[in-house]
Amino acid sequence: MIAALKGFAERFLGRGDATITVPSFDGALKPNQILAKAETIGQFDAPEDLATDGKTLYLADGAALLRLDGAATTEVRHFDRAITALCCLPDGGIAVALDGREVQVFATPSAASATATVSDPSFHAINALAPGPLGTVIATDGSTARPYPQWTHDLMERGRSGRVLSIDIASGRVRTLASGLHYAFGVCASGEALLVSESWRHRVIAIAPDGSQRSVLDNLPVYPSRLSPAASGGFWLTAFAARTQLVEFVLRENAYRRRMMNEIDPAYWIAPKLKSGQSFLEPMQGAHIKTMGVVKPWAPPRSYGLIIRLNAEGMPLYALHSRVDGVNHGIVATVEMDGALYAIAKGPGRLLRAPLTMIEQELHA
Amino acid sequence: MSDIILALRNATKLYAGVPAIENVDFELRRGEIHALVGENGAGKSTLTKVMAGVVTLTSGTMQVNGADVAPRTPLEARHLGIAMVFQENSLVPTMTVAQNLFLGQERFYNRLRGIYIAAQQFLQSLNFDVTPTATVELLGAAKKQMVEIARAVLHEAKVIIFDEPTATLTPEEKKYFFDLVRDLKRRGVSIVFISHALEEALILADRITILRDGKHVVTDDAAKFDRARIVQAMVGRDLSNTLYGLRKNSVRPAGARVLTVQNLKMAPMVRNNSLSVFAGQITGVFGLVGAGRTETFKVVAGVLKRDFFHGGEVILHDKPVRYRVPAPAVRAGIAYVTEDRKVEGFFETMSVSRNIYLGLLAKLPGGRFFLSQREAGKVGKTWVDKLRVRTTGNTMKVVELSGGNQQKVVIAKSLVQDPDLIIFDEPTRGVDVGAIVEIHELIQRLADEGKAVVVISSYLPEIMALSDRILVSRQGKVVEEFSALEATEEKIMYAAVH
Repeated sequence: MIAALKGFAERFLGRGDATITVPSFDGALKPNQILAKAETIGQFDAPEDLATDGKTLYLADGAALLRLDGAATTEVRHFDRAITALCCLPDGGIAVALDGREVQVFATPSAASATATVSDPSFHAINALAPGPLGTVIATDGSTARPYPQWTHDLMERGRSGRVLSIDIASGRVRTLASGLHYAFGVCASGEALLVSESWRHRVIAIAPDGSQRSVLDNLPVYPSRLSPAASGGFWLTAFAARTQLVEFVLRENAYRRRMMNEIDPAYWIAPKLKSGQSFLEPMQGAHIKTMGVVKPWAPPRSYGLIIRLNAEGMPLYALHSRVDGVNHGIVATVEMDGALYAIAKGPGRLLRAPLTMIEQELHA
Repeated sequence: MSDIILALRNATKLYAGVPAIENVDFELRRGEIHALVGENGAGKSTLTKVMAGVVTLTSGTMQVNGADVAPRTPLEARHLGIAMVFQENSLVPTMTVAQNLFLGQERFYNRLRGIYIAAQQFLQSLNFDVTPTATVELLGAAKKQMVEIARAVLHEAKVIIFDEPTATLTPEEKKYFFDLVRDLKRRGVSIVFISHALEEALILADRITILRDGKHVVTDDAAKFDRARIVQAMVGRDLSNTLYGLRKNSVRPAGARVLTVQNLKMAPMVRNNSLSVFAGQITGVFGLVGAGRTETFKVVAGVLKRDFFHGGEVILHDKPVRYRVPAPAVRAGIAYVTEDRKVEGFFETMSVSRNIYLGLLAKLPGGRFFLSQREAGKVGKTWVDKLRVRTTGNTMKVVELSGGNQQKVVIAKSLVQDPDLIIFDEPTRGVDVGAIVEIHELIQRLADEGKAVVVISSYLPEIMALSDRILVSRQGKVVEEFSALEATEEKIMYAAVH
């Protein structure tokens, strides 16, 4: 009874759990145009994830696994289902997640057949893979309620069924390292611990070998996604969309949300998007998009592009942006190779390349 | 008739044997604007208080129109045609403008209507746009200043002394004040004004007198001075490289996020404001008057309350907080150093030690039942030494200190609480250049020690000299952020205005 009254009072006053606020892009997250200026080295139908063995770049595009040699792409293999996650293994192998429900491991990217196939019935939305200790692969399973392509549904249902899994390649044994996460989307080893993105809670957590969790980076103004190691130490964290007060508001209005989900085409939901500006039917938050003829970085974005550089402790150092007036939105994967950062802008279907020297110059311009 | 209306010869004033001014010669010409500048404690206020009859000389002479005088009270000085407009105005806030104008001149039977008519006519003759029936507490700083000036003119003052007249005025109000002073000059009134804003002295004054350590240094035409010469004469050393002079070539990296303000609302001043403050950095907040900077951080410190409905969030160390009064904010490690030290900063008739000790007590939950004089003395001495507050003793009342040293007491009162987040609101307003350097060094030291420091200032060179990152506020919210390395005055001002 008291809880119900408290809930009502909070919603009425806009306080506590009903607070509809988002943090600003400031400090290390200060907006710039670096991602917007990144070179587009390829346009793809359905790019999803990137992996590198240090020499070669691999890209998951729909059901195809592609190898990139400069600007040229070669199809290494083709699957019968879409690839939802990809990672290179220390022994030269490669692991792929198919349709979020199966993980296949190959001795080499071009090997004739898989050395291991793990299709645990609990797999539902595997969206990121990373090499783990002792011949394991670490996977994040975003949701047990919704398949990977329906991540928006999971957000609107306020899903909290994300898991972090350890998959033993040799035995096919699956161990749950963490569960009940608010959409796990991205994992990377950090010493003995694992850094995991928890998208709907806008944070990155560290999971210790004993299973204990602690927040490393909290209250982000974005929905964080995949992580990858940086060559000089630390990590790259991608974010596929920015938070807005409008979406936060919708997430607190249960009846409205249910009705929206029942009656409106998901393409036009008030929800984060990987790209925007495609239709006049899209909802727009009521605020000034343009001031003095300039699209302002603090204008409420429907879609956004962001990569955050983290140090070894997980503290943000700087960020690369494609702001509301850009198109390189929906960044879902990034890897660093040969002194350049490669990233997938899933919104426009682009593979981007930003040399680290260019990033340094732009940051100090 | 001599050109000199007021003169002081070998003027010396001792306080407890310590000279506040020593053998000072000063001359004021008819119809001139004479700026009196010097560091805090240089003796400017004492000199003007002697002229206004607030204090009397220990030795030396004062002449008005060539005749030796020694006014012992402000009333005697007023009869000599000398009036003083104090920094903290001397109006009665609950009385109307007209009542204040005629205060002290009441008759046995006063007809209010008659007073209002007389005040209206008099204010119109001065071209002052002030309603005589308005209650003084409802007036802005500039209008209050006008009433003070009008009162001085009403008393047929031939010499009007202004102590820091522009300290509380907005840029627009300052411009209006300058026009008023020039108008008084045209009427043949001689003006003495004390200002720490050196540009004002250069723009407004005909002549400038500089005092240092209670002694006269130089008097010359304003046209023969520039900023560097004034500063050098004031402090006896070249500060051009330490005071706002050097451009930053490195900034401190951000530490952990200490404070996040999210969509804060406090109508009508703060509108959906969001910002972050990081440990180990100085975050400068610049904006024009009315940009909502002070109000935002007063909400953070529990001095003001945000909007009741959907007022946004303040997150301290990753936990949402909502302070209704400052005490819990102090206990949580937030210190707010006010921009208005005379009203909000200290208890002026209490000693330096007691004031600093009060800061410590505010940190303790529930305060203390018994107060320890010894502890107060010890705490006071520690911080007086640490911040180099110039006092004759810890028992000295704060009101007796110069502006810069008062500011140091206010800062000590906050630092004694060992805060994690320190918010300096206009930290060097009404403070002399020597003390500015010391306060700036202190702020830098706090950031070096890993504290999260916020500096709110309307003075661009100060923001640029201190900050590692600069937030620009406009119309109630932060609209732009600059690294100190990329910031220029033009960029910041453009963001603040457009």
